[in-house]
Amino acid sequence: MKNLRVLVVDDEENIRLLFKEELEDEGYAVEIASNGLEALEKLKNSNFDIVVMDIKMPGMDGIQTLNAIKNTNKDQPVILCSAYGEFKQDFSSWVSDGYVVKSADTRELKQTIKNILHLQ
Amino acid sequence: MNPVDLLGKIIEISHSNLDLSSRLSAILNIISQDMQFEEVLVYTLDKDKRLTCRFMNPKSILFKMLNQYRCHVGEGIIGSVAQKRTPQYFSIKDISPRFGCLFYPELDGLLENYRTFSFLPLADDSYIYGVLVLCSVSKESLQGPERILLSILSREIGGILRSFELLLSSKKRISELAMLSELGKVLISNVEPHELIKNIALIIAKSLNATFVTIKLEYVLLKLDSQRFTYGIIDSSIQDYIEQLEQSAVKLLRPASLRNSALDQFEGTFKFTLYSAPIASKNRVLGTITICGEKTTQPHILEEDGQYIINTIANYISSGLENTLLNTRLRDVVRELTDAQKRLIEQEKFRSLGEMTANIAHEIKNPLVIIGGFTKRLAKRTHHEPTEDKYINIILKEVDRLETILNEILNYVRESPSLADECNISDFLDEILYLLSTDNSWEQIEIAKDFDPTLPAIPCDSQQLKQVFINILMNAHEAMQGRGKITITTKLVSYNNQPFLSVSLTDTGGGISPGILDNVFNPFFTTKEKGTGLGLAISHKIIANHHGHIDVENILGKGVTFTVYLPLKNNSTKEEFL
Repeated sequence: MKNLRVLVVDDEENIRLLFKEELEDEGYAVEIASNGLEALEKLKNSNFDIVVMDIKMPGMDGIQTLNAIKNTNKDQPVILCSAYGEFKQDFSSWVSDGYVVKSADTRELKQTIKNILHLQ
Repeated sequence: MNPVDLLGKIIEISHSNLDLSSRLSAILNIISQDMQFEEVLVYTLDKDKRLTCRFMNPKSILFKMLNQYRCHVGEGIIGSVAQKRTPQYFSIKDISPRFGCLFYPELDGLLENYRTFSFLPLADDSYIYGVLVLCSVSKESLQGPERILLSILSREIGGILRSFELLLSSKKRISELAMLSELGKVLISNVEPHELIKNIALIIAKSLNATFVTIKLEYVLLKLDSQRFTYGIIDSSIQDYIEQLEQSAVKLLRPASLRNSALDQFEGTFKFTLYSAPIASKNRVLGTITICGEKTTQPHILEEDGQYIINTIANYISSGLENTLLNTRLRDVVRELTDAQKRLIEQEKFRSLGEMTANIAHEIKNPLVIIGGFTKRLAKRTHHEPTEDKYINIILKEVDRLETILNEILNYVRESPSLADECNISDFLDEILYLLSTDNSWEQIEIAKDFDPTLPAIPCDSQQLKQVFINILMNAHEAMQGRGKITITTKLVSYNNQPFLSVSLTDTGGGISPGILDNVFNPFFTTKEKGTGLGLAISHKIIANHHGHIDVENILGKGVTFTVYLPLKNNSTKEEFL
């Protein structure tokens, strides 16, 4: 799994750190970005197997970034991640490949990534 | 005594403030003594226009007999004088006159003693009030001056009778006016309809001195418990007459009356006069008012002017009832408006509170995820002291609890439901009940269902609705401590003229204490040890987002009924949510 690359996008430093460490424990190579623009920049320069992105971010939010990513590469898998469950109903999040409610329990996030990448 | 002195004395008496019979008998006594008439009698007209001998000089012998008979105007000598309004004088040479319509054999003997009989009308220019009768034993005939004096005296006595009658009728008018003013006061007051009608019956019965007054309402819109209001006691023997009379008054749209003259001859039988007037307004009959008078006590209430006053009253009442009707409608509308306003305020309160809560919850969520996430990572590391493990587990458990609360809050805040589902409420409830019944703790709970099978499917967010009914059912379960009965009723109702579907859920959990009833829908209000206080708040919000509402009805000591109202058509636009 060493070759699978994950980009974690979140404006909250410790969330980035938590997800990075949790996913690295699973064997992914994790890079981080603290906002939408930075994420787009990183995606332009290298390939990621999957993007895990917060929705509520200052400046360019997760939905806008998601649309920008999909406009460039509609096959780029993206998982949206939010404290709210409500965006699940929002059609604007439907273009994402997965939706995870943020939790201290990261099992759902990990499972969603595996499902999208067809692991196991 | 000379005529001037006589007249002076009589005028003095007639202007005194003695009552009518004292004045008249004093005057008749003076005439008898000063002018040597053994009999001086006055016939007056009764209410039914019959002449009766009512007044006499104290020494009169004929009075006792004469006052037992009455005669019509035109009948006998008395009736003819009253009709023609010209005096008649008889002397012994003539045939003795017939006093009334009957022959009195016993009178004939008595009359033989008298030499002259004089009959003078007691009248003014327009009305006849009675007849003055004078009989003399000593006088052979009456001379011109005596006749002139008598005609002056008869005018004076006529005047007394006239002013007495005026006094009587003005007294009556005053009492009628007083009654109308009493009625007016009641009619413009804001009492409840049944109080109003009861008061009307009471006032009329008191004013007219009626045996009873009964008001029957035909018009059902007033929503009263009873349709008949009676003041006084209705004799059971005339119950049927009343109903017949009321029916004909309603059918003919005009007053009807009944007098049981046929029963007059039987002593002791209830003698009554009945008068029934329709209470109509704009050709719609609201009801009838029926008045009963016993002939012995109050014969006048059925006379023409009595009928007039009752018809006036009926008109009064109809406008009063119309007013009350409008008032009741108005009150209903005001109540509905107040309800709606209350609900709006509630919704607004919930909305702003919701927004604030959402922000707070969101701000707390991230740090919580971080704390929890890293504690989990810490837990994965090996080699902990047992106490360290214990503390880590406590932190994790508390984080978990906080997350559950935050998720509930964020759910609560969630706005508009999608309303994409079409849901048949009966099937829907059955499904929920099936779900619950799979749990052992529901074994001892009896479910009684009364579903209206004709209810149409409604647009809804079935996930959200499920949450509402499960919430209510779980609360009931808890209130009954797992043992009791839940009655679920569905039906079609109308609210603000819109069709709504209602689902009532009644438990036997003893009810909510009144002090906290107002708070049950408030977020974070809970009576449970481990509750978040969001269950009913979320339910309330979900139903509000469906454009419905929840009512709670509490019977302390028995149980609680939660009724969920959902609109049949989704008659709102999306904008209303925003």
